Amino acid sequence: MELGPHNWGRPRDDVYGSYNAAAGGCKMNTQSPIMTGTSVIATKFKGGIVMAADNLASYGSLARFRDQERIVKVGERTVVGISGDISDLQYVERLLDQLVVDTSYDCEGTEIANLEPANVYEHLAYVLYGRRNKMNPLWVACVVGGVDSKGECFLGQVDLLGVKYKSPSIATGFGAHMAVPLLRRLIPDEDRFEEIDEKSAVDAIDECMKVLVYRDARALDKYTRVVVTSEGVKITKGVQCEKMNWEFAETIKGYGY
Amino acid sequence: MASIGTGYDLSNSVFSPDGRNFQVEYAAKAVENGSTAVGIKCNDGVVLAVEKIQQSKLMKPNANRRIQAIGKHCACTYAGIVADGRHLVSHARAEAKQWIDLYKSPVPVPSLADRLGSYVQAHTLYNSVRPFGISALVAGFDETGPHLYMIEPSGAYWGYRGAAAGRGRQTARVQLEKLSLPDISLEDAVKAAARIIYLAHEESKEKDFELEMIWVTKDGQQQIPSDLLAEAERLAQDDEDDDDEDDNDDQQEDAEMKDD
Amino acid sequence: MFRNSYDNDPITYAPTGRLFQVEYALEAIKQGSAAVGLVNSKYAVLVALKRNTEDLGSYQKKILRIDDHMGIAIAGLTPDARVLSSFLRQQAMASKMRYGRPLPVIKAANALADKAQGKTQYYGRRPYGLGLLIIGVDQTGPHLFEFQPSGNSLEYLAAAIGARSQAARTYFERTNSEFADASVEELVIHGLTGLRETLPQDKELNISNTSIAIVGIDKDFELLDNEAVAPWLERLGDTRRTRAPADEPADEPPEGPADGPADEPAAEATESMDTS
Repeated sequence: MELGPHNWGRPRDDVYGSYNAAAGGCKMNTQSPIMTGTSVIATKFKGGIVMAADNLASYGSLARFRDQERIVKVGERTVVGISGDISDLQYVERLLDQLVVDTSYDCEGTEIANLEPANVYEHLAYVLYGRRNKMNPLWVACVVGGVDSKGECFLGQVDLLGVKYKSPSIATGFGAHMAVPLLRRLIPDEDRFEEIDEKSAVDAIDECMKVLVYRDARALDKYTRVVVTSEGVKITKGVQCEKMNWEFAETIKGYGY
Repeated sequence: MASIGTGYDLSNSVFSPDGRNFQVEYAAKAVENGSTAVGIKCNDGVVLAVEKIQQSKLMKPNANRRIQAIGKHCACTYAGIVADGRHLVSHARAEAKQWIDLYKSPVPVPSLADRLGSYVQAHTLYNSVRPFGISALVAGFDETGPHLYMIEPSGAYWGYRGAAAGRGRQTARVQLEKLSLPDISLEDAVKAAARIIYLAHEESKEKDFELEMIWVTKDGQQQIPSDLLAEAERLAQDDEDDDDEDDNDDQQEDAEMKDD
Repeated sequence: MFRNSYDNDPITYAPTGRLFQVEYALEAIKQGSAAVGLVNSKYAVLVALKRNTEDLGSYQKKILRIDDHMGIAIAGLTPDARVLSSFLRQQAMASKMRYGRPLPVIKAANALADKAQGKTQYYGRRPYGLGLLIIGVDQTGPHLFEFQPSGNSLEYLAAAIGARSQAARTYFERTNSEFADASVEELVIHGLTGLRETLPQDKELNISNTSIAIVGIDKDFELLDNEAVAPWLERLGDTRRTRAPADEPADEPPEGPADGPADEPAAEATESMDTS
């Protein structure tokens, strides 16, 4: 009997017979992502947010493309970092691009045309939840960050199920396990991000990216880092993890090689 | 009008014995009475300008825009029945979006103009619809450079270097022909457009109006920098005052001597 | 007398380019009682005159809440208001659902205009016989729009629709320079004064026939009726029109086609459908 993840939650072939899609009336949507991007991590600081995502697009365990940008700018003071399926990422990117255009129609240059981060967040949740209810999810987890017109920081996450939440520090994928504890050491409570300045937030994010490269086999040591303040969006591409030390790798035993 | 009473002009899509579709011609009349719209194409981009008659002093100044964006790289204005213009722009926006959904790149301006032409033309084919009561100026900038098209109520559309529609179109066209298009700078095009709108407004001088302008360049459709806009409008007003004085010279020498 | 054959449906142009059915729809607005609206940088206000068709009947609502930040006043065929108000409420909810933000007023006004335009271009429909004043607040402050069934929504500093509304407009044109710095109280009083100018000779404003609505930055839409308007009427003082009947400004006469063939210059008529 096939016991792999593909068959979890499915009727057993030995009891119900094998599944026959050709029988008609059946349709299968995405069951798993194909080309993927790993963690997106982000944290607030006083007056803004930092977000980072590495530049790797993996095809299974193959490091397929090393120049994938996964953070999208939406309007003037919002960014969306996307992990998960890369083709769905590209779809979401176009969706957000069109969202900005549609919103600005007949009110160009006014505050109405500029969507707040919270508006982008709500809209993504609306789209992703809608798709999951059609049993055809967009296989992504999105981190929305930015600063609104009143200067308030915003950071929230929406995933392929339409689950959404806000937090002063957020990480998707492997980062949810590895980076979040580190970021929470920096900002233990909801409002303590006010005590953190841009530099210490950026340092913490860089440190997390390094930890992820050590621990996450789908991570890359080259990444894009974005800082959003009320001034606007500052994008730094091709940041390299520095002072990494792989000597310990020699000592690893018990993995069969 | 010879058409009246013949019965051939009561329904859209019906030919008269001499092969005319009067309802389309009547729609063109609605355009002729609309406020003037001008488009100027030069090498670096396209300028659109429209004379916005203020029906009432109670209207909010600098609101109620008459030039509308289509995607990031096109803009449209129109003369005639404004509500029809909004309808066409809504359709244009849907076309632009559809194109991106399909081809993942912005719609080329000639293709957009072609689709809009077809849409307007389709409204001349059936007795269940009314032709568009507008002439639309579509300006855009794509990978092949700047474009300016004018779509008429019949669905006919042509590319232009300089185009005008509405009440003051005759005056405007005379002025446009004096420009050596497309070899003028964008700034000069802005000034020319402002001047032309002011000149064309002469015919309905008793009404207040606002000048609305936009340009479309390689960076997409954008508001014209306010200092340039102000300068263009000031020059246009000066120009108008000069013209007034010239008129006075010609016609009312007595009056002028008294002024002196 | 020429019979006008160009005014039987909204999709036939007259030889001058006019659309008579659409123009007649605009006339329907004038059948309704008056409503006025004013706006400054902090508040937008509606004041409307309610009618009751018989003494034992209730007064027809004139001002409707759309959302916490938006409301409308109606004049014309009130049943049509049911369609348009529920459409607007739907749009307002959709904006909250999709973007988590209240519907911007200009988007509301444009959505209505575009919906109305569709009723003027296709056979088998009729234009709405209803005018609206829309007030609301968004990130860009308070706004006042006038919606017309010809498919236009235009933004105003002060506006009036309905029967004899020209009198209110004349009052506003005279006084609108004072609105910018006016307090909300002064704005309402200006609204009441404007509305009072539209009254027929034997009528006066009272708590049964007057509706007031206020919305502002940091102030949710509030509708005042009956007892709640009493203090305002008290502040207004004289509830009867002050003008002598002689200089009563008449509404523009309906430009019916019965007067002759419709080939007089159409400039004016087209303008009525034209924002310009």
